[in-house]
Amino acid sequence: MSGFAAVYRREMLSLWVTPLAWVLLVVFLLLQGTIFYSIVVHFTSLADLAVETGPVEAYFGQESVFLLMTLLLVCPALTMRTFAEERRSGTIETLLTAPVTPAGIVLGKYLAVLTTYCAMWAPTVLYVVVLRKTGSIDWHTVGSSYLGLFGVGAAYLALGTLMSSMSKSQLIALLLAIFAEFGLFVLGVGEYVFEPGLLHDVCAHLSIGSQMEEMSRGIVDLRRIVFDGSIAVTSLFVTSRVVDSWRWG
Amino acid sequence: MIEARHVTKDYGSVVAVRDVSFDVAQGEIVGFLGPNGAGKTTTLRMLAGFLGATSGSVKIHGHDIATESLEARAKLGYMPEAAPLYTELRVREYLAFRAALKRVPGRERKAAVERSLEQAAVTDVAETPIGQLSKGYRQRVALADALVSNPPLLILDEPTAGLDPNQIVEVRKLVRELGQSHTILLSTHILPEVEAVCERALVIAGGRLVAEGTIAELQARKRGRETRLTVRGDAEKLAAAVRELAGVKEVRASTLAGAPEIVELVLETLPDADAESTLERAVAALVAAGGGVRQVTPARASLEAVFAELTQAEEPKAGDA
Repeated sequence: MSGFAAVYRREMLSLWVTPLAWVLLVVFLLLQGTIFYSIVVHFTSLADLAVETGPVEAYFGQESVFLLMTLLLVCPALTMRTFAEERRSGTIETLLTAPVTPAGIVLGKYLAVLTTYCAMWAPTVLYVVVLRKTGSIDWHTVGSSYLGLFGVGAAYLALGTLMSSMSKSQLIALLLAIFAEFGLFVLGVGEYVFEPGLLHDVCAHLSIGSQMEEMSRGIVDLRRIVFDGSIAVTSLFVTSRVVDSWRWG
Repeated sequence: MIEARHVTKDYGSVVAVRDVSFDVAQGEIVGFLGPNGAGKTTTLRMLAGFLGATSGSVKIHGHDIATESLEARAKLGYMPEAAPLYTELRVREYLAFRAALKRVPGRERKAAVERSLEQAAVTDVAETPIGQLSKGYRQRVALADALVSNPPLLILDEPTAGLDPNQIVEVRKLVRELGQSHTILLSTHILPEVEAVCERALVIAGGRLVAEGTIAELQARKRGRETRLTVRGDAEKLAAAVRELAGVKEVRASTLAGAPEIVELVLETLPDADAESTLERAVAALVAAGGGVRQVTPARASLEAVFAELTQAEEPKAGDA
């Protein structure tokens, strides 16, 4: 774990002094704002219907395919440079000859992108605050929705970090991460493709879409959290092994 | 300070470094010399812990780089060949990061950064983003990075590569100054650099250590000593006069273009003969043969010649992996 704090601070600094984080933030908020606006407009046209769900649930849950699509773009873009850029520019040599452990480096980098991810979501809390003016908000469902987003992000970013360690090219790292994360997303679609049975259950269990749908309704299933957590932990473990293996290249 | 024992790096089809053993004692400035592609960078990377050795062991300050890697790495400052840096950071930010990474305690970090900025003479660009710096400055920032934790050992991979002559002189001066308080191992393929800054040199060629010793010892390794004589007279006759003398190994005669009566003789003495007395007899023989001796220049074996001899002998073996 040695070197973790220094790597984390350097990574945060590098992310936020270059345009990447800011460009992603702007694009991300524009997309989220548009999605949320259209959902709200949609709900205002359903004035007389006694619907069970509101715009908050729709935003995080039922319409989450939009939300997950933006995650498929934002998460790989956040992680693509973590290791690929270090190896392309050669700075990995100075990093690995400092008294730091691979685990410290991987965790420092990972937590920096995870923090950035959370910072990107933070302004969306304003949407809920704005909505509060028009009616009551169930803060529990808001909380569980953000917990779900955190879980999905934690898994996606860990996968992306792993993919970044696979290549010296940021572009290839980006593509690999998109494929891996899209693959995970597509697995969940299997829930609607297969007849009820084992495959259906497996896909339902792995579905990021269903996870967000459940969590947007306030259902926090520990299995979902464990699933996200195991993807994150496994990916990070493999990444630290990959970093260690460079010594033998 | 460095103990390398039978270090070998095998890349599968290519053996980059084979069975290299050497020591670097505390306080020494040692040059690691070899032609391009000889295995210098691979060896230094193994010493710095960036690459693992296929076999053999490396100890830095008594710590094995493989089993006590963190302790060993904490004792060294390593500057890679291309001086890779984070171009988006300012010099001071970068050094503060490196100080934290190298476990300089929080309250000493600021002072450590200032000291390394000063030592590497980059204080004037402390607030400049690294991406805007010239090659010479970047090289010095990389050196400041190696110095920031004040490690007892510095491993510098071609510290003067890509610099202009003035910058090279500055960096060499800096290395000599640092040598008073640090042990330094620096690689280079430029011989004057070794003569200018190092006390001792290791010569590597084709992945093998082919020579080791002080600069004087290495120069003495050049077998046979040569003397250049400029004589007026007939080339054939003069060469014949000295060729049969005791102690003479070889004589080469050539005439100067535009002055056919001036002969240049290169006299090579046998390694076990007394060079001075052989020379005296040779000059006497030349005079006796009617030659007008104008100039006698003892050719000191340059490190270049030693280097060429040592490394060329190893060259054919380089491919037999």
